[in-house]
Amino acid sequence: MNLLNRYLQAVARLLPKPRRDDIVAELRANIVSQMEDREQELGRSLTEDEQAAILRHHGNPTVIAGRYREDNLGLAFGRQLIGPELFPFYKMSLTVNLVITVVVLAGLGPVVAHAVGGAITLTRALIPLFTQFVVVTLIFIALEKNKAHVLDKWDPRKLPELKANPDDGPTAANIFTFIVTAIGTLWLALTPRWLYLLLGPGVLYLPQLGLKVMPSWPLFYWVIVAALCARLVLQFFSLFRWLARPKARVADVILRGISLCIGVLLLLKAPNYVTSQYPDVAYWANLNFEICVVVAVAIHLGGTGRALFSLLRDRHQMLPARQY
Amino acid sequence: MNEGPFENLRLELRRGCLVLAVLAQLRVEHYGYTLRKALADDGLEIEESTLYPLLRRLETQGLLTSEWREEDKRNKRFYRLSKDGKVILKQLLEEWRGMGESLDRILREVKV
Repeated sequence: MNLLNRYLQAVARLLPKPRRDDIVAELRANIVSQMEDREQELGRSLTEDEQAAILRHHGNPTVIAGRYREDNLGLAFGRQLIGPELFPFYKMSLTVNLVITVVVLAGLGPVVAHAVGGAITLTRALIPLFTQFVVVTLIFIALEKNKAHVLDKWDPRKLPELKANPDDGPTAANIFTFIVTAIGTLWLALTPRWLYLLLGPGVLYLPQLGLKVMPSWPLFYWVIVAALCARLVLQFFSLFRWLARPKARVADVILRGISLCIGVLLLLKAPNYVTSQYPDVAYWANLNFEICVVVAVAIHLGGTGRALFSLLRDRHQMLPARQY
Repeated sequence: MNEGPFENLRLELRRGCLVLAVLAQLRVEHYGYTLRKALADDGLEIEESTLYPLLRRLETQGLLTSEWREEDKRNKRFYRLSKDGKVILKQLLEEWRGMGESLDRILREVKV
């Protein structure tokens, strides 16, 4: 099955992320059935060459992935120049090329302009962009014309080896996120006892300023700490795959929703978070706090919306852990 | 003979027929591989790389429904014609039969 796994990995790499696992699981089920049927016919296990023949017949991973893309767009000028199979990759290559060109222009433009003693005009900036566009487009038009020859020349045995499966265990990114959340939670839990952690040297001025937090703040504080602890537990369980991925995603959306509610309730308390014997100090402290809460709410709103949208979109496609 | 135009026209001719054949075959539930076999058994060979994405598209259009179910200790995605799909299939069949009759009349006079 190593060859099949490598084939599915190659297809998965080019599929849109939200539907990737679902499509790969379906492809796997279909190809495995086909291989089993062939084994029954032959009365023995398939050799690597026979497996490769089935995969070759199934199609080049680039073509397969292109056919699963929903956009189904192409480039036409009277007649079709780039078909829907290659168009997503054309779009991707063009975007990467143009972004790199813009970054290089932004970085080197002033230096070059200084060296040649001229100003950076729009025309000068557009020439490399237009050249990139033409070159990439011509390459893809040529590829489209010779698609049958170019894309048919592939061998499943030459596909890249399998990369470590993120579902097999903790990944560096997940461990990093867990550590950051743990440090953040610990920091927040320790701040009432050691205010220095929050205010730094400014804590020395606190008695003179006479700042007092609103009466409901302790309740908010402990709810925030509890929400962070819950997130930490969820991240820990997800890290070792002790919680099925669909359940982990639902729990993630719920926790995000709770955090968002806390933020909105805090926002309703504005601008009376702190009081002070000095009105100016209270004003600036409240304004700073309010800005922090608004930013946090905005971030949570985006995150929760994205997680909820992706959960609803994939609700019919939730599968057990990835298998390639 | 130049095979390019023939191949393009043949593919064009097949494209619409495939959708009709898939919808008709999915009056009975199938997963991708068994559907392909069922179509092949009836004489309509279709590439995997065409059929499997086509099933997704037809599902997105609301003509098919699907569900993941375990069969032979493996999860498979089973497709079946939806309520809307049945209506569309009926309409397409009427269209197909009408076109078939017209073509028969036209082709009767053609001598190749």
